[in-house]
Formats: sequence, structure tokens, C-alpha cells
Amino acid sequence: MPYIYINIILAFVISLIGTLIYRSHLISSLLCLEGMILSLFTLNALLSLNINFTLSTIVPLILLVFAACEAAVGLALLIIISNTYGLDYVQNLNLLQC
Amino acid sequence: MMYVVFIMSVLYVVGFIGFSSKPSPVYGGMSLVVSGGLGCGIVTSSGGSFLGLVVFLVYLGGMMVVFGYTIAMATEEYPETWGSNVVVLSAFLVGLLMEVFMVMWLFSGEHELVGFYFSGLEGLMVLGEGGFEYVREDYSGGASLYSYGFWFLAMAGWMLFVSIFIAIEVTRKRY
Repeated sequence: MPYIYINIILAFVISLIGTLIYRSHLISSLLCLEGMILSLFTLNALLSLNINFTLSTIVPLILLVFAACEAAVGLALLIIISNTYGLDYVQNLNLLQC
Repeated sequence: MMYVVFIMSVLYVVGFIGFSSKPSPVYGGMSLVVSGGLGCGIVTSSGGSFLGLVVFLVYLGGMMVVFGYTIAMATEEYPETWGSNVVVLSAFLVGLLMEVFMVMWLFSGEHELVGFYFSGLEGLMVLGEGGFEYVREDYSGGASLYSYGFWFLAMAGWMLFVSIFIAIEVTRKRY
């Protein structure tokens, strides 16, 4: 198995850890979520091309469509939080409502 | 020159460590853009030029632009970079050290990890690189989205259409 796959799976694990650990901003966790999706896209594309199974190159494209929808909903939630509290600091979120 | 894809994947991981150590989101977005460009290079080196172009156009040019002006809206006066905060710098250095040790461990022989047998660099030599290929794999795969994968296309299109309404109604607080 080629060495590149270890690096891309490692990139997924790193951005997964980055999603689960909060610092001050909420949008940093959304960026790490986008990083997870980028690493999944790269892994899917490389696997489809190396196995020479042409029909499964649809999978990275569909993954990207779902990622776009998810980013849109995540950013919409971030916008309401930013409208209510002024900034998207995680320490402001103590009311359990947006 | 043979190792250029591996070096690109190592820099890809370094870019991921860059935004995963949580600097200010401006610098995190920049690091994600660099990683996206390197990911495009990795995918293109395996013969998938269409999928690399999709990463640049759709992912970086579409989604990252939206992230960019959302970050510009919700940013602070003094953004903290990797060198201005000891927490961010130490997280970055720990990740970098981990990557260096992993590369050194990889090149010290053949290993077995979680059932997969990692051996050698045979994945880095792309066969048939110098000539023309008769079947462009990623183009024909992307084109089969419209013929064999029509149901995928219908569901993805419907989902994009519904998510516009979801984003509008969520922003108006009508959830």
C-alpha cells in the first residue's frame, strides 16, 4: 500500500482532533470540519484512481456536493450566533439558544 | 523528482497541522487554501486532472471564498498567528515533530500497520505517465454521473436546492 495514504489518513485524524478541541473561535472548528472533508475527498479520489475503478470517481464529486450543503448550514448558524453575541466566541454560548 | 508526491503529501499534513492548532481563523483559512492546492497536486499526479480541477474550482473557489468573507465578518482586532501565542506554537511544533518521526519511521523498512502492509514506494511511480492514455478515467467517471448515476445527480441537485431554503430560514430564525 503506498505511503501517501498514511499521510492523508493522518491529516484526517489531525483535523478530527482539531474539530473536537475548542479554543476561542467557533469558526475554527468549522474550518477543521472542512479540512476533514478535504482529506476524505483526496483519499477517495486517490483510491478510485489507483484501483482503476472508473465508476467510483463519482464518489468524490457527490461528497463535495454534500460538503457544500453542510458548510452552508454551518455558516448560517454561525451568522445567527454572530448576530446575537457580536462575535463567535465559544465562551459566549451559555444560553442554549442561538 | 520521484519523491515529489510524497513531499507534497508531507506538506499537506503540515498545512493541516497549521489550521488544526487553531490560530486566528484568517490564518487557518490561508493554511486550508495551501493544503487544498497541495491536495490538488497529489490527485493530479495520480492521473486525475479533472478531480484536481474540481478541488480548485468548487472547493477553493466556491466554499473557501464563502468562508473567507464570513471570517472577515467575524474577526477580531488583533488576530493571533502561530508565533504570537505559545499554545498555538507548541501545538504546531508537536504536530510537526510527530510528522517528522513518522516519516523517519516509514523509511526505515517495511511495516505492517492495522492489517495493511506498507512497503516501498511503488505507489509513487505513475505508469504510463509519458504518453497519452486511451481512457481518461476521471473524465469518464465524472461523465457517468449523468448516465449511470442519474439518481445520484437528482438527489444531489435536490439537496442543494433544499439547502438554500434551509440557509435562508435558519438565518431568519424560523427554525
